[in-house]
Amino acid sequence: MAGFKLPGSNYKKVNTREVVIEASGIHKKYRVYYDKGSSLKEKLLFHKRNLYEERWVLKGVDLQVRKGEAVGLLGVNGCGKSTFLKLLSRIMYPDKGEVKIDGRVSCLIELGAGFHPDLSGRENIYTNAAIFGLTKKEIDARLADIIEFSELGDYIDNPVRTYSSGMYMRLAFSVAINVDADILLIDEILAVGDANFQEKCLNKLRQLKKDGMTIVIVSHDLYTIETFCDRGVWISDGVVAATGEISSVISTYREYLEAQKQEKAEPEPEPEPEPEEPAEDPNASDEPEIDTTSDHFGTGWSVITKSVFRDKDGKETTCLKRGEPFSIDIHYKVNEPGHENIFGIAFHCQNRDLIYGTNQRIDEVPTKLPSDEGIVTFHVENMDLLGGKYIFSVAIIDENEVPMDFYRNYCEFEVESDRSGIGIVNFDHSWEIRKSEEKGESES
Amino acid sequence: MNILKELYNYRQMIIGFVKRDLKGRYKASVLGFMWTFINPLLQLLVYTLVFSTIMRQDIEQYYLFLFVALIPWIFFSTSISGGAGCVISQSSMVTKIYFPREVLPISYVTSAFVNMLLTYIVVFAVVIIAGRTLNPVALLYLPIIMIVEYFLALGITMITSAMTVYFRDLEYILSIITMAWQFLTPIMYDVSILNGKPHLQKIFYINPMTSVIIAYRDIMYYGRAPKLLTLSTAAGMGLIFTILGFLIFGKLKRRFAEEL
Repeated sequence: MAGFKLPGSNYKKVNTREVVIEASGIHKKYRVYYDKGSSLKEKLLFHKRNLYEERWVLKGVDLQVRKGEAVGLLGVNGCGKSTFLKLLSRIMYPDKGEVKIDGRVSCLIELGAGFHPDLSGRENIYTNAAIFGLTKKEIDARLADIIEFSELGDYIDNPVRTYSSGMYMRLAFSVAINVDADILLIDEILAVGDANFQEKCLNKLRQLKKDGMTIVIVSHDLYTIETFCDRGVWISDGVVAATGEISSVISTYREYLEAQKQEKAEPEPEPEPEPEEPAEDPNASDEPEIDTTSDHFGTGWSVITKSVFRDKDGKETTCLKRGEPFSIDIHYKVNEPGHENIFGIAFHCQNRDLIYGTNQRIDEVPTKLPSDEGIVTFHVENMDLLGGKYIFSVAIIDENEVPMDFYRNYCEFEVESDRSGIGIVNFDHSWEIRKSEEKGESES
Repeated sequence: MNILKELYNYRQMIIGFVKRDLKGRYKASVLGFMWTFINPLLQLLVYTLVFSTIMRQDIEQYYLFLFVALIPWIFFSTSISGGAGCVISQSSMVTKIYFPREVLPISYVTSAFVNMLLTYIVVFAVVIIAGRTLNPVALLYLPIIMIVEYFLALGITMITSAMTVYFRDLEYILSIITMAWQFLTPIMYDVSILNGKPHLQKIFYINPMTSVIIAYRDIMYYGRAPKLLTLSTAAGMGLIFTILGFLIFGKLKRRFAEEL
């Protein structure tokens, strides 16, 4: 994320507030049964079936979270971060160590877990909010807000089983964030729901954070974490590998992932099976093959070392003006010569809808690089997006379209616009008013 | 003590569960909620027919003698054998969200208890129609013995529901145990049949339900206030089992999410 200042770093500001989450020396083990049987017959007859192996998932994790802080937990699959969140939420208890929590906790771990399909949306709000420990009076007071945020309108009185999955998630999310919790624990749920609602949820979370709510997020979406959290905690192999300001933790973590990837490219040791978090997320590069669903992947034959936006004066920026030229400098490094290097870029909306994308092959421009290190510049004469925040992606692929270094959501940039139309892109236009020339022609 | 405070905060959840259970119980049946009353009436009809024609008993108005004790027993036995599965049946919630797990057995027992209260309206009606005199002083003891029975059932249900999570067979074993337990409790007979068998009598009084049933029958059938000893034995047992229930449940609940 070189060259970009990211929002949301009030790390120092909260450093003096009281500690609301205190986890010290957290150890947690799971029993991995070879072949589990829990009935009497199985317990007696197949004694061997109850053999199990103890696996320590967390080996002494400490965490202090102060009021109003947003903390992101990072780590590859099976590192124990989801387990840790479950311990914080008291769904599970640690084997050693202690979790102290001060305040009402709301969990966005499994949305809608307490929903009853036959009850109406409205009735489910009552039961679901009651699960968070609200009384009827408190729920009554919040009912209107919850219904409004869910955008369910008249559907609120229909049974929940008739809802689409999107409606279901919206209702569940609305309840969970409207219970006036002091602490919010979130596990990878921002990936659900349609893009608009997702954005709305994120905005709501930002608002709640501003109002002083303490938030702990587990996610593989480094981009969201980086923009949202103040502090990062990277958990690796059951211990805290790094902690501190979010961007520095993320870059350490990225480096680690990078190194892992390089290692995997060579004949590699068998990856350890991770039974406690099955198929949680394929993003975190446990597979040796390229995982094209993650935000950053590629063979590494050529890499993008840095990309920066420059305004019309050539000054580095993240804020562009509509109607002015701009360019993007893509710094590259060739690690393995012999491949054609095709550079590509794309711009997305906040909800990740593609606005425009192209590469050198599509544009039929020469791709030969003069040296193993250098800069490729993408130049635009006229920025014509409307005001707002957008996402930039950049990639190098080879002649067979094998991704060598592919960043989805490399960074965010902003556009300032003098045009007041709505939407994404500006159309140069004019209006004209005139009389119809021939009466009745439209009927023919 | 903390847990009591927390449970008080979660009262809406308990109320919601009980309501849902009571509403859902006879859902989709034609007579719906009426079954709460029809069911005991029909049971009574069967007992009357059986015990006045086929198996004649020496006890006067035997069907009443049986009925006033059977209804509280049914509450007790459904609580402990049916309630054993109350944590398992909510496994999707237990593994995914936090709430004080005690809510589950409390809701289950409370819902069965409310059901018994409603059934007791039928019991009252029948006792009056049958021409038995109800002693108003004795009736004052009725709520007390009901509450004592509630806590006794709650304590035992907490133990069985928590243990069933670790050992699923318990649910089935319990249905046999409650059947045997029913015969070891003076429901279908009077304790007086044990006169002259002091050893057996001792065993009977260890059974916490013996005092409870005797108290119910004193109030509703004999129309007299239960003996203080009966009442205090029942209350003492209720207290012991409630405390035990909370302690054992509190200990076992910590690994629910992993075992389910």
